[in-house]
Amino acid sequence: MPSSSSKSDRYAVRLTRLSYTYPDGTRALEGIDLDVGEGERVALVGPSGAGKSTLLLHLNGVLTGTGGVRVMGQLLEGADLREIRRHVGLVFQDPDDQLFCPTVLEDVAFGPLNMGFPAQEISSRVERVLADVGLNQSFRNRSSHHLSHGERKRVALASVLVMEPKILALDEPTSNLDPRNRRHLIDLVAALPITLLLATHDLEMVLALCPRTVVMDGGKIWAEGETGPILSDSALMEEHGLEVPLSLRRP
Amino acid sequence: MRHNFLDRYAGLDSPLHALEARTKLVGFLALILGVLWIPAGSNLIFFAYFLLTAVLMGISQIPLGYIVGRTLAILPFVVLAGLAAPWGDHFEGVRLVAIVLRSILSLLFLILLTSTTAFAELLRGLRKLGCPKILVLNLGFLYRYLFVLTEEVLRMRQARDCRRVGRAPALAEFKLLGAMLGTLLVRSFERAERMYQAMLSRGYDGDLRILAPRKFTWLDLGFLAGVTLFIVGVRP
Repeated sequence: MPSSSSKSDRYAVRLTRLSYTYPDGTRALEGIDLDVGEGERVALVGPSGAGKSTLLLHLNGVLTGTGGVRVMGQLLEGADLREIRRHVGLVFQDPDDQLFCPTVLEDVAFGPLNMGFPAQEISSRVERVLADVGLNQSFRNRSSHHLSHGERKRVALASVLVMEPKILALDEPTSNLDPRNRRHLIDLVAALPITLLLATHDLEMVLALCPRTVVMDGGKIWAEGETGPILSDSALMEEHGLEVPLSLRRP
Repeated sequence: MRHNFLDRYAGLDSPLHALEARTKLVGFLALILGVLWIPAGSNLIFFAYFLLTAVLMGISQIPLGYIVGRTLAILPFVVLAGLAAPWGDHFEGVRLVAIVLRSILSLLFLILLTSTTAFAELLRGLRKLGCPKILVLNLGFLYRYLFVLTEEVLRMRQARDCRRVGRAPALAEFKLLGAMLGTLLVRSFERAERMYQAMLSRGYDGDLRILAPRKFTWLDLGFLAGVTLFIVGVRP
């Protein structure tokens, strides 16, 4: 049936009854159902340990739980993971985890090299993406441990954007960033025509970037819907270790 | 915290820096083998080799003080190793001098190699020369994470110092050290897990792919030819 297949194509991500238990027995995800439309920007909020990062790691098959994960209409189980990982860009919370190469150039080129792009294209992509995240070309040959935390975060983002993913999954992108770097990151992400999943505690950023919010706690989804009403629901926020952002509080 | 001492002079612009990493690896390794070949007491050959290192140092533009400093730092170990060599019935001063001179020359060549080549390039050169990829990958991680770990240790030490007054008995100190090392191990283990996830996320499939190194040029050919001529020319 062409109509039903085109319907599922409209979802960038479709999770059905997704559950995951860590090897040590911790139940990290319990029966998650979530649809994210193409081009949609969705925030995942909730206390630490809610399962947000674990959920993101399922989007490109790094972790595999029970239940269904569909990315760009394709079931992850049995799919070509390399192709999936090209479409899903995952930016980790700690840039020191993500930048493991001796130089910035090699880190940014790591993904494209694995995808088998020709050298010429890799070079032009690296150049473009460094400019996009606001780093000049002299950063190419520097090593990550000589960079500031803000610069490292930018390189980590560049190392994912260079693959031109269709879906961007950010894990706490603003943690430990100073206000200027945080503002830069928000503006940068806002300008990307991309499906976005944002796991964070930074609710002001959620307000700025994501029209839709999902509240997670204890591996379950407790609420989802339009960002404004969800974040202003003080009972809901407090129950799940969050608080109504300042800009939404009534005087 | 920075570890500039590894790549401090790798950014200079000299003919030695312009050489491809493979050329330098092969060339300096050959020179070191040549050094091992010098018999004790052949002062002229030793002199020729020292002259060569002096010329190469001049070309490399690396400050003499830096090279001397690094050599001196390792010298005591060299002398000690020389004294500990199997001497048989009688000790020969000439042989001890030869051991020390050979070690110094080898050190100088290694210093020239490592300080004119960025660590990343050295790794690429090793890989291109057929060094196993798992080894090259691990050397790269070592280079990248050595200082992430050092910083972690420093932070742990600060946290410890903030919470203690005076000195604990030796046994307690020892226990504390053990606990800290254990924590460090667990943290490193967890970091390795996250790094691997980050690698997978960017399409890593067990195969290490590297960017093309510098091009092999006439300069490389000239260097290798020169090294060969020298080694053959001053052979014992």
